[in-house]
Amino acid sequence: MRRLILLVLLAGTPALGSAQSSQFGVRGLGLPGRALSVQALATGGSFGLFDPQSSLNPAALAAFPALTAVFSGVEDFRHVENPAGTESLRESRFPQMAVGGQMRRYPVALGLGFSNYTSRDFSLATADSVPLRGILIPVNDTVTSKGGLSDLSIGGAYRIQEHWAVGGSFHVLTGTNRVTASRTFADPTYQPSSQNSEISFAGVGVELGMVRSFGPRFAVAAIARSDGRARVDRDSTDVARVDLPYTFGLGLRWQLFPKLTLASQGLFRTWSGANSDLLAQGGTGADNTYELAFGGEFTPDARRPTRKPLRFGVRYGSLPFPLVIGEQAHELGLSIGSGVRFAQERAGIDLGIEHVWRAAGPYSERAFLVSVGVTVRP
Amino acid sequence: MRRALVGLAAVVGSAAVISACQEKLTSPAECPGLCPGGPQTLFETVLSPLAGLDSSFHTYVAPGQGAALLVSSGLPVSEDRAVYRFISRQDSIAVRDTARAYTVDSVLITLNIVARDTLVGGLKVVLFHLPSGVDSTATFESVDPQLVDANLIDTIAVPDSVHSGQIQTILRGADVARVAIPPGTGGQLAVGLRMTAAAPTGIRVGSLAGGNGATFVSYLTVDVPDTGAVRNQFLSRATEFNTFVTQNRPLPDPTVLTVGGDSSSRSILRFELPPQLKDSATIVRATLELIPAHPLLGLPGDPAVMEAHAVLADLGAKSPLTADPQFIVTDTLPEGGTDTLRLEVTRVVRLWQASTDRPPAIFLLLAKASEAATFTRPAFGSTNPASPVGPPRILITYQLPFPFEIP
Repeated sequence: MRRLILLVLLAGTPALGSAQSSQFGVRGLGLPGRALSVQALATGGSFGLFDPQSSLNPAALAAFPALTAVFSGVEDFRHVENPAGTESLRESRFPQMAVGGQMRRYPVALGLGFSNYTSRDFSLATADSVPLRGILIPVNDTVTSKGGLSDLSIGGAYRIQEHWAVGGSFHVLTGTNRVTASRTFADPTYQPSSQNSEISFAGVGVELGMVRSFGPRFAVAAIARSDGRARVDRDSTDVARVDLPYTFGLGLRWQLFPKLTLASQGLFRTWSGANSDLLAQGGTGADNTYELAFGGEFTPDARRPTRKPLRFGVRYGSLPFPLVIGEQAHELGLSIGSGVRFAQERAGIDLGIEHVWRAAGPYSERAFLVSVGVTVRP
Repeated sequence: MRRALVGLAAVVGSAAVISACQEKLTSPAECPGLCPGGPQTLFETVLSPLAGLDSSFHTYVAPGQGAALLVSSGLPVSEDRAVYRFISRQDSIAVRDTARAYTVDSVLITLNIVARDTLVGGLKVVLFHLPSGVDSTATFESVDPQLVDANLIDTIAVPDSVHSGQIQTILRGADVARVAIPPGTGGQLAVGLRMTAAAPTGIRVGSLAGGNGATFVSYLTVDVPDTGAVRNQFLSRATEFNTFVTQNRPLPDPTVLTVGGDSSSRSILRFELPPQLKDSATIVRATLELIPAHPLLGLPGDPAVMEAHAVLADLGAKSPLTADPQFIVTDTLPEGGTDTLRLEVTRVVRLWQASTDRPPAIFLLLAKASEAATFTRPAFGSTNPASPVGPPRILITYQLPFPFEIP
């Protein structure tokens, strides 16, 4: 009975998606996604490099116990503050899907992933007065963007002996950004205007990763990834190239007690490679970013670790695309979550809630990100 | 208890589903931090007609073929007389297959006033008997001399409270002779109208084209021994022909753009869109400005409506005009006005952008109900060097393509 109620309540946050759009995703390529499953999100991302349901480390695919499909979504409840005012917003996204499993008779695991690479969903409203024909006319402008880049990945992991797993993946980065600028006038003799454009992206990336276990209680993971250059088309015309970052990551996992496992990871991305490209297009450039996460998972029943675990974590990091040149935004997140498994562990639902603070100069926002993940093992 | 919990969970879950699917994305923003691409910039430009290619054309609707006839007395814009000719009235009536003579006992003549200057009182409409051969060749000089007492039918005093509608006169007894139709004239009665009032003014009266022309009803006694309906009959005759004649019709002035008047003039303005507008600009406002060459002439209190039409094909005077109301702009012409007339032609100019098949031209004319049916005769400055005032122009406010920030 309690399981049923939990299921219904969890289903109440359906559009859950974690590509938290933000006012800090207005510039450049948008707000970077995190390619994490809900389980990993609930730990602040600290388990991401060890998590086969996330798309951070191809070597982690070796941890899939069987063929598994994962789908997640995030509902974003955000309060925005900037010099123009404050507003409470909400948004739904589906940032992470993955399918993977072990090959029979071979120490090999394969996986497909679909994750949000950057999100550029926003709608910005400004009010002003412009002098027209000698009279000040109040106008309302709205710039709207929908879309971003998605990361389609195919990867594999190979287990070497008991303690090593290495993996590699190939990534196709693609997506479309539909942008609209509209204006209305207080004087009805001026006709409203609306202009649209479609900006599409295409690029590829490769990644190598490893996981090394030192006994049953301690493990280390590392990744290196290159995403090359993305081609940018505007309304089907090739207009630009943008350097995408190299990503380096290192993670640690330590089972402190049978019921408590802690983890930490750090990620570094060389977004500054895109700086000159973005400045050349009239943007505000880009800065390198880092993310540090720490978290843990407490399992009340050590013999059944998937039964209502308590996950928690904290992360701190920087964002790549400043709103104002030279003023890089930072974010802090506190998260908590849990999950249930049922049908003989063939299905499960995970829930994560994260409170995020982001700030840069006079711009700030805080958000609750409610994430729900569905796991199926057919 | 278990069912209640399940129900509660279902309700809470459904509510959560519904609320969670709603998005609210719009947030306040300020520039430059939250203005990707920068602010939207507006530009203004002036479009002048192609020199020498703005022209007036005349006589689209002949006098009398419009929705009203003009009658005036001392009105500065023009001096007019109206003429009606009724359908033929036969000189006998068939009763039981036998043509019977009749005598006219009384006559009712009904007119329709379409408009008048309601501030001028003492209006009287005077009817005169004209020869039945009056037709479209009639001129003021041929008609007016016949509007004399010898031909007087009657004078209809119009109460000041009557602003429009029917007025009539009934002739009985010896007065019937004033509308007697002499033998050999085809049985047709023609009447001429003039008017007087406490001050110089004019009226517009109904016409055949307007569906409210004059009517002429004869009440008869048929030469039969019977009584009742067979003996006492009436014959009603509608207008067969009508026109109005104008004293000293002004010749069209080629240095100005004329619209309306008794010659029902129309004018065409031709433009050329500059490349920055033709390609990708978003036009948010386009205003056609017309400068009156002189105070707008007309009947006080009876403004006409002018229309600016998009042109489907530029064939000069015979250019087909759009009937799509989206591309027709109207405005009222106040009598005596000297201010620049402004017509919002944004959609018309946008049409020029959107379709290369549509010539960038505008046709100016009076509304259909006003052509050759109103005293209003505006004239506007043209590109002609001899024009007394400046030429028309279109003020255009536009946006260039928004420079969406390309990542």
